[in-house]
Amino acid sequence: MTTPASRTVPLAGAATPDAAHRPLELADLSVMIGGQGGDGTLTVSDLLGRYFRKRGLYVYTSRNVLSRIRGGHADASVRASRDPISAVKAQVDVLVAFDQQAIDLGRAELAPHGFVLYDSTSFHADFPEAAGFPFATLVGGPLGQPIFKNTAAYGALSVVFGFDPAMTRGVIEDRFRRRGGEALEKNLKALEIGRKAALEATGVAHRFSVVDGDAHDLILTTGNQAVALGFAVGGGRFFAGYPITPATEVMEYLQRYLPPLGGVVRQAEDELAAINMVIGASYAGARAMTSTSGPGLSLMTEGIGHAGAAEIPVLVADCQRVGPSTGEPTRHEQSDLAHLAHLGHGEFPRFIVAPADPVDAFGLTIEALNLADRWRVPVILLLDQALCQNTTTSRRFDLSAVRIDRGSRLGAEAVGGLEEYKVYGHTDTGISPWAAPGTPGVWSEVTGNEHDEWGHVSVDPTNRRKMMRKRMEKMVRARDELPSGRLYGPAEAKVGLVGFGSTSGPIFEAQRLLESRGVATRYYQARTLYPVPAHELDRFLAPLDVAYVVEHNYLGQFAALLRASLPWHHAKLRSILKYDGASFRAPEIVAEIREAA
Amino acid sequence: MPPRSAKPVQPIWCPGCGDFGVLAAVKRAAANLKIPVHELVLVGGIGCSGSIHNFLEINGIHALHGRLLAQAVGVKLANPGLTVVAAGGDGDGYAIGMGHFVHAFKKNASILYLVMNNETYGLTKGQASPTSQIGFEGNVEPPFHAVLTALSVPAPNFIARTFSGDPKGMTAILEEALRFNREGRGFAFVEDLSPCVTYNDTYKLWREKVVDVATLPGYDPTDRRKMFGACLDQIDAGRIPIGVLHRPAAADREGLEVKLLGDRPGPVRGPIDLEANRAHYEKLLAALA
Repeated sequence: MTTPASRTVPLAGAATPDAAHRPLELADLSVMIGGQGGDGTLTVSDLLGRYFRKRGLYVYTSRNVLSRIRGGHADASVRASRDPISAVKAQVDVLVAFDQQAIDLGRAELAPHGFVLYDSTSFHADFPEAAGFPFATLVGGPLGQPIFKNTAAYGALSVVFGFDPAMTRGVIEDRFRRRGGEALEKNLKALEIGRKAALEATGVAHRFSVVDGDAHDLILTTGNQAVALGFAVGGGRFFAGYPITPATEVMEYLQRYLPPLGGVVRQAEDELAAINMVIGASYAGARAMTSTSGPGLSLMTEGIGHAGAAEIPVLVADCQRVGPSTGEPTRHEQSDLAHLAHLGHGEFPRFIVAPADPVDAFGLTIEALNLADRWRVPVILLLDQALCQNTTTSRRFDLSAVRIDRGSRLGAEAVGGLEEYKVYGHTDTGISPWAAPGTPGVWSEVTGNEHDEWGHVSVDPTNRRKMMRKRMEKMVRARDELPSGRLYGPAEAKVGLVGFGSTSGPIFEAQRLLESRGVATRYYQARTLYPVPAHELDRFLAPLDVAYVVEHNYLGQFAALLRASLPWHHAKLRSILKYDGASFRAPEIVAEIREAA
Repeated sequence: MPPRSAKPVQPIWCPGCGDFGVLAAVKRAAANLKIPVHELVLVGGIGCSGSIHNFLEINGIHALHGRLLAQAVGVKLANPGLTVVAAGGDGDGYAIGMGHFVHAFKKNASILYLVMNNETYGLTKGQASPTSQIGFEGNVEPPFHAVLTALSVPAPNFIARTFSGDPKGMTAILEEALRFNREGRGFAFVEDLSPCVTYNDTYKLWREKVVDVATLPGYDPTDRRKMFGACLDQIDAGRIPIGVLHRPAAADREGLEVKLLGDRPGPVRGPIDLEANRAHYEKLLAALA
């Protein structure tokens, strides 16, 4: 659909429509829709996302909601791009406002060429490049209900972007077909009302145009959904949790996925119960996990310590949000890492792994289950709000790489050949093979107290030394099995970037922006955060002049772990930090790179 | 010959401790019901009583203080074929574990929760517990009566109280409770009055005060309301009601594990390997759009 007369605006470009009113072609665009809860902002964002995907574009959507059920301002944003993206765009091209707050909040992010479409039923937007339509009134008369104003706004947007009318209708049909006759019919009418109003107004039609992309056969998903699917496919059959933003969807998806597979999902009375139910189920032989966020993690700390001491494998997904205390439940941060690395009283081994995107989250969830079983340790799957809840176009998850390894578990046959069965027996590998209760001929006694090989409480100093070493050395012995980091960018680059989790999205984009300024960068995406993969980082950092550790917290928590593990690289490490509740926009990272100044 | 799974350990309890009676009764009840050792799991709490799993030579978890019920429910839901006993003290169950205690009745998983109540914290040397009488170690708070709380939750549970001074009666009740669990009927709560000979030796006092509710006129363990009133009357009169306090009239399989899984094998015994589930997984993944 690219016309020769149009111009393409590159990533984060800043141009204005020219005098001839040719549409400004956007290869990377962002629409923000804001209004009161119940205005249907999410519906508009969903419809737009569907349209852009039909055009073969990569899509990334995010929400900014308050922690309340109804009312209050909420906004959603949709980004679509010809290139792969997994971050929020720095500037908004079109703002759809159902309330004054949307204007107030969106103003700062609007691109210089930005355009505002607003519902003039309730307020007037005092804005130079804006068009107001009384959407609520327009649909309220013929359709009897003002709620269809969101679909009317989608109709007006389709005119602003010069969408293909048939494809625009197709999106409505796809979305409302299942709800049946009246819903579909009224939404189609609302669409036409919005389109007509926009077509009749001056200076609204075809201000922008959208390019076609080749991103087909992708799925739109979230990290939380990927974790739930990874758990189910990885043989996870027991989940207990307690509702908490932004982790709840893991439980909700599993309530759909596990029961048909013979699994069990329980909503516990609190996080203390949830982690302990998981410990019980895992002891009994199930692959078990829980998911939570900051405040729940604090409560689960007791149980994770018990699992570490008793050598019971558990998987805990921590969907990080702004902390401490209840912090900002719906907002983004990566500030639990320091707690997790040192979690619990006393000393016990734990592995912390962090995926960057849904495909990574699917795979790492399965790997984390294998690691927990093989090494009889608690494993933390570290996620963050943006990865958990923002939707992104993603490659399909596939089963070809799925491998289930229960490692240290003994079956009835293996047990039959033993003379003695010691649940905490010392072995050459440092791992004690064990049998689940119900295995004929043996029984397993486990305890969080210090214990001997039989699982009996012991305060013998020699036993204590041997048991401590057995557990703690897992941190070293497992090294080569822990997920490797990933490298992006030319090997000869002298400027390095280090990050983890959803921060990879804006970092990739920052790399492209820096490249266009002649600064080559190499990015190390950490996938094991603890124990710190010092061997990998040492190789990564050695040839660099400088490396920026990009993370969402105040203290530079991952950078602090790197400095402690690799003091000889101390001088070349710098931190890029953000802790305002919003995820990085690529230009914010670029602005901190001194070599690009 | 099966492999040796443990070496014998002597109980840590003081001579004469009520917990010895409980240990003996649990062993007898399990033996009478012919429960295979490898299918029996005991989740112990923290405190003197919680160490009971060490002396039984069965599967066991020595749980965190107050968390034994959550772990026991996790074990049962993961593998409903196991017989699961949670055993701990009054501090463990009624203080730090109170939230889980009340929810256990509501959940109604088919496990036995055995509380050894000695009205004190023995292991930490005699502090007042939630069940201590006013005046004990300076206690000014009225004692908590777990059986009344148990009766107040409208769920099809088995509820009973026993006395370590009556090992025969205790064995019979534990047998009934375990049978109730093994039939998938739901949660069984048995509080045993288990004196602490060192810090709160109440054998003589309790022997005088216990009243078997079955001897009361109009005894009907299916009638919660009447039983609640009868227990209150006894307590107000300075006596301690023991015996079977509630037993659902219908013998339905109301256990949580039955509601969730029916007769399916559950998380542990169901297949988790890729090949056995490939078709189902492929459908799940293909449904993503």
